Amino acid sequence: MKRYIILRLLYTIVVIFGVSILVFIITHVIGNPVNTMLPLQATDAERIALSHKLGLDKPILIQLLDFLKSVIRLDFGNSWWQQIPALGIVLKRIPATLILVFFAFVLAFVLALPIGIIAAYKSGTIIDRFFTNISLVGICFPPFWVALMLILFFSVRLGWFYTSGYGTLKHAVLPIVTLAFVPMGHLIQIIRSSMAEQLNSQYIITARAKGVNEKVILFGHALKNAATSIVTMFGFDLGRYLAGETAAVEVVFGWPGIGMLIVDTIGKQDFPLLQAEVFTVAFVICLINLITDISYAFFDPTIKY
Amino acid sequence: MFKNWKIILAIFVILLLTINLTGLAQDQIVIALQGEPTTLDPQFADDGNMRPVSDNVFDKLLVLDGKTLQPIPCLAIEWERVSDITWQFTLRENVKFHNGEPFTAEDAVYSVKRIIDPTFNSQIAGNFSTIKDAKIINSNTILIITNGPDPILLKRLTLLDIVNKKYTESSPNNIINTKPVGTGPYQVIEWNRGEEIKIEKFNGYWGQKPNIQNVTYRFIQENSTRLAALKAGEINLAVNMLPEYLEQLPSYKTANSIEFYFLRFNTIRGIMQNKLIRQAVNYAIDKEAIVEALFLGSAAPARGQLAKEAYFGFNKNLDAYAFNPEKAKELLKEAGYKGEVVQLISERGRWMKDGEISEAVASMISDVGINVKLTFLSWQQWLDTLFNLEKAPDIMFSSNGNELFDMDRFYQAIIKTGGPQSAYSNPDIDKKIDAARNEMDPVKRQAMYEELAQLVYDDPFGVPLINLKSIWGISKDLEWEPREDGRMLISEMSLK
Repeated sequence: MKRYIILRLLYTIVVIFGVSILVFIITHVIGNPVNTMLPLQATDAERIALSHKLGLDKPILIQLLDFLKSVIRLDFGNSWWQQIPALGIVLKRIPATLILVFFAFVLAFVLALPIGIIAAYKSGTIIDRFFTNISLVGICFPPFWVALMLILFFSVRLGWFYTSGYGTLKHAVLPIVTLAFVPMGHLIQIIRSSMAEQLNSQYIITARAKGVNEKVILFGHALKNAATSIVTMFGFDLGRYLAGETAAVEVVFGWPGIGMLIVDTIGKQDFPLLQAEVFTVAFVICLINLITDISYAFFDPTIKY
Repeated sequence: MFKNWKIILAIFVILLLTINLTGLAQDQIVIALQGEPTTLDPQFADDGNMRPVSDNVFDKLLVLDGKTLQPIPCLAIEWERVSDITWQFTLRENVKFHNGEPFTAEDAVYSVKRIIDPTFNSQIAGNFSTIKDAKIINSNTILIITNGPDPILLKRLTLLDIVNKKYTESSPNNIINTKPVGTGPYQVIEWNRGEEIKIEKFNGYWGQKPNIQNVTYRFIQENSTRLAALKAGEINLAVNMLPEYLEQLPSYKTANSIEFYFLRFNTIRGIMQNKLIRQAVNYAIDKEAIVEALFLGSAAPARGQLAKEAYFGFNKNLDAYAFNPEKAKELLKEAGYKGEVVQLISERGRWMKDGEISEAVASMISDVGINVKLTFLSWQQWLDTLFNLEKAPDIMFSSNGNELFDMDRFYQAIIKTGGPQSAYSNPDIDKKIDAARNEMDPVKRQAMYEELAQLVYDDPFGVPLINLKSIWGISKDLEWEPREDGRMLISEMSLK
């Protein structure tokens, strides 16, 4: 187990390096950030001066080496936009996204678990089809659209929650509900299908034949064995959401999380900040994948690392 | 499982019970901007989201009159041109900065020198490129010296915010960016990154005290969320509303903005070197239809130039090329056009309906028989194309904003050979542009620009399309009249 974790951490470092280099290349290919930063009316002399100040006039390989050094030192330099250390800006935005994602996933899980189990238990019936359709609705509605509909109804019409902003529960409810839709849909489907698979398997039939309590069969056997696929889906969605998948929702609700920061940063072509963001995001995804993988051993004793 | 349901339900009920529907307080307003300012150091950058805040925090030596756009006194009460390149300014006395420091000639000179200092690398230094130096004469008199005669120095100074020397020199950069000190009617209380900026009335302000005590600026990027926030009564003012929203807004104000959409021709290489084809494109575009159908009237057709009446150098005798497809076809025939591909490069998402107008224009051009190929680039690629003459397409969609309200900037950037956005070259016109830049007699200078406007109209540099209107959504209780220069001054607002 220890050896496995160390290997995985080494692997994480490789992934982060790879992603960082990729981002470096992409950001340097899409266009000169000096053009984005200066007003359209700026003169050529101003453009050249700013290029020089930002070190963009150095050969690309030197820039890449400087950048890799900064990744190793975990010092991405100052954001061009805010002129304070870039990594600090990113870390400061993480809690806002964490709040959204945590509660959205709790909500999604709490709703999806009973629905998925009931759908699997009543597999093939009208109840099953009803719940499967609900999950499809959850997956198919684009979050930004759901967000706008919720705002129109609950904020403008009813006045229950704020349309946008950050700070209180009244600000947080709508973005959390919006974000819960997709993972809820995913979870219902995965819970339903993996539970149904378990419930049809030999050992459940045997257990039933022995007269084992139906509750024990459902929660003690089927759910525990279905857990690995549920956790996989959960970890997959969680990683994506913490990595800026929340951007559209954060932008619509003016929620100052990492997703909105990424959108802003790309628009401003603030390389140091963008690199710090990608580093953080890659790290979070690797970490969640690691936790997911380790949790398999907990649910399934046949898995050994 | 049902236990969980009850807990959720309980949380929900408690939540609903604790919600208190308090309205907005009497003496405070909330303004929704489209994005977060990059900085509040108004000498360093200007991204469109900063000015609505900083214009209330900082004073300038002079400001523009909200209607006539003529410079009027602010921190300078009198001025005089001592020689062609030297101007003397008498400064207002008994003015205090927000940190309690008195405003002196030292601060004024420091502010001028800071912004033109190449090591400071101000992103708006281009506005002040004609200024050479500033000198203190006595405690309330300063001199500003220009490189050559500069007829628009006074207008330039309306963009130069006055900072406190001591505070600026002694504070680290990131403090000046987020907690600036000026002499304006409002002072910055705090800036929560990503969330809001709060400013409040400055009691030591030298001028007339404003009505509104506190202002909160929020950053709401999504247009429909700004609209919803206004409808829900959470904010008093929302910037950049869309024409489609007019019917839904509680109340609104419009004003001509400084943005002009236009097409730029590549007159140096390729098919658009032919003047007749360029004129044909001008005749092919129905600007009225664009204004009515796309912008629902919230724009005005440009009058054959990227300027409106109040701009210095506006030629009132010009009018847009009439919409005349027949004439366009004739010109194409005369030019011997044989269906060669004409590239039109545009981008979408930067300006209001930029993609839509490009598509409309492309289809109008193709209606008269031009084989036009429209390509959308990402903003960054588009910028690279704009500033790189090598990459210049036959036709390029662009927008031009002129903060100085003077035509010098337009001719220098877009017409003069080698100008940063220029794809035009005519040595005769270049000479006239430079002559006009240094002409100190306003009557002569006006005549020079009128002549230039006519020249680049007859031998078209492009197609001036429309002048956008800005739309501000406002709450029913806010009283405010927008200014011609688009600045949002809280001191000109009040609550009913």
